[in-house]
Amino acid sequence: MTKRRKIIDGIYNAITMLASGTTVIALVLIFGFVAIRGVGTLSFDMLTNNYWSQNYLVHFENNQPSLFETPDDLGDDVYFSTQYGVALKDSINHEKKKEVLIVYIAEDSPFLTSVDASQGSNYLQPLSIDDNSIFNRLEYLNEEGVVSLTGLTMQENAETIVQNLDSASEITSLYFQTQGGGIWGSLLATLMLIAISIVIALPLGIFAAIYLTEIAKPGFLRNTIERAIEMLAGVPSIIFGLMGIAVLFPITALFNISGLSVLLGGMTMSIVLLPVIIRSVQESLVVVPRDYRYASLSLGATQTQTIFRVILPSALPGILSALLLAVSRIIGESAALIYTMGTFINDAPKLSTGATTLAVHIWTIMSGEQPNFELASAISIIILIIVFILNFSVKFLSRRLERKWQG
Amino acid sequence: MNSSVTRYQKRKKIVDLFFIGLFRLAGIIAASAIVLIFVFIFKRGISVFLPNYPDQISLWKFLTGFQWQSSTQTYGVLFIIINTLISAFFAMLLAFPISVLTALFIVKIAPKKLGEILTTVIELLAAIPSVVYGVFASGVIVGWVDSLAKVMGYSTFGGRSLLAVIILLALMTLPTMTSLSIVAIKTVKPQLELASLALGASKTQTNFKVVLTSAKSGIFAGLILGLARAFGEATAVSMVAGNKSVGPTLNPFDITRTLTSTMLSGLKETTGLDYDVRFSVGIVLMITILISNLLIHHVKKKIGSEHA
Repeated sequence: MTKRRKIIDGIYNAITMLASGTTVIALVLIFGFVAIRGVGTLSFDMLTNNYWSQNYLVHFENNQPSLFETPDDLGDDVYFSTQYGVALKDSINHEKKKEVLIVYIAEDSPFLTSVDASQGSNYLQPLSIDDNSIFNRLEYLNEEGVVSLTGLTMQENAETIVQNLDSASEITSLYFQTQGGGIWGSLLATLMLIAISIVIALPLGIFAAIYLTEIAKPGFLRNTIERAIEMLAGVPSIIFGLMGIAVLFPITALFNISGLSVLLGGMTMSIVLLPVIIRSVQESLVVVPRDYRYASLSLGATQTQTIFRVILPSALPGILSALLLAVSRIIGESAALIYTMGTFINDAPKLSTGATTLAVHIWTIMSGEQPNFELASAISIIILIIVFILNFSVKFLSRRLERKWQG
Repeated sequence: MNSSVTRYQKRKKIVDLFFIGLFRLAGIIAASAIVLIFVFIFKRGISVFLPNYPDQISLWKFLTGFQWQSSTQTYGVLFIIINTLISAFFAMLLAFPISVLTALFIVKIAPKKLGEILTTVIELLAAIPSVVYGVFASGVIVGWVDSLAKVMGYSTFGGRSLLAVIILLALMTLPTMTSLSIVAIKTVKPQLELASLALGASKTQTNFKVVLTSAKSGIFAGLILGLARAFGEATAVSMVAGNKSVGPTLNPFDITRTLTSTMLSGLKETTGLDYDVRFSVGIVLMITILISNLLIHHVKKKIGSEHA
């Protein structure tokens, strides 16, 4: 090899290395960004809270001050009212707005004996103030017996509020807010969506795969079906969204569902999943040795018996990986669902109402006037973790399947 | 005794026929989905051009228009097609060489361990949902574009731009094309390489001249899939495109509008012309993907025959 050749080869190899380096950098950047922006918001509360915060106005049944002991385990930034037994803390929420949180309420505190004063069916019913509620505005009588207000709405911080509170001779009402920004509703809707789409798509997909690999003879029908499913796999997901509206919407209308719904989303997703499931089940059926079928058939079993008793059990890992792939596709899907499930973040999703999945939730909060990167990244972390676990399980399963038939 | 056996046989046969029918039905249902998609989307997409539609719009104006304004019911799609083609073309220009070279590095050049790690990297990239790419793009890529524009003396709309769309699409299509190229390169017959090496070509020459040429068909299949993804990608693109109403966009720092971002923009109403016209855009999108696939197939055949 000439020296010149060696240098040129070196340059060529360096270019390929550079190219691979780019992909690694891309992955690191995406992970890094999502992790750094999202990890501060990610918490158990975020998973279980509602997205929309509720506003409450409450009256106190017991409104006289008494004396409470300051608990030892409160942090430095927490202010405790010894007269009313409530601890407050300044905080900044994920939309970068200031808020004052109730972090602790002592036993026998007047704050534990509140009744709902907001108009509605719960009027004058007892209502408990949860920890981590946002302390907005308190009406109280000061030392001279004059009605005064204190709270975040008065631009006051936790320290001033506690000072005012300790000087109050009587507290009358509190306007507070539950914390929002949680993803519980979207999490629930995602689970519902997974259930519906799997229930429809899995049997259909497995049966179609069985037809294509076990029953259909080479010919026009099999070719057509195979080409059609191949084409289905290449359709962009936004087109599936249109299909949901044009084809499946009239079907959900039969169930008296008037608008976009989780059911419509699930039915749409089941079509999206068909090629995924069919392909993956087909792959696992093809590797089941021919001898198994012949052995079963020659013992007098019918084709149906052979399929259900011999072939399907052998292809079980493949079916399981089809299931996992499908779930990971549902979790990541957005465009098709924006059309069919809608973009309204629903804290109590039902089959017949619109809702968002986690992925659509991200889209909704990102495409608003003020994109909320922190929450979007936090949800992204959750999605990424789930999707990666599913994908690695699929890889593990298919490796097991390969090894099984190699012996 | 004999009759009970026959009865049993008969029942078995009926069950068998029933299930075989069921399997066939499942296959036909799965296949008919694509037909339903075409028929119903075409039906609804074309309806806005027909005379009995309340706010009928002209097909000619739709196909040749350079303005899209739902407030004045002006729907012209030609500049959107051009924008979509431009963004996808440049995304491919960026991503295709990188993916092919990465695949070559993984299969032929890198040590086995490193190759495995890189394969995992590609798999992870492929598994990231598009909406997460969107978050990344509007958090990071947009910032890069904005600072690049400042350096070059342009102003952007917070970085939302054609260039941001191109970089995002390049990133998203990278794993698809790389993994297909890996498969294609792996299937190249070792005899071909050995022959090349025996003729005195260096390992690198063999990789670039023999391996890549032989894997061409699979690599082009990857390009087709990548292009289809670039055309069809919706949510992530709509986060950084900016939805320009007059076009086409030729300045990389200007906002743009693609077919998919048009379909997703302002999805507030669920009826009326503004909604139904999305189906027309959907048809245009499908035709664009179809034509580009046919074109690449054609190119592939041409290149193939030259070297045969």
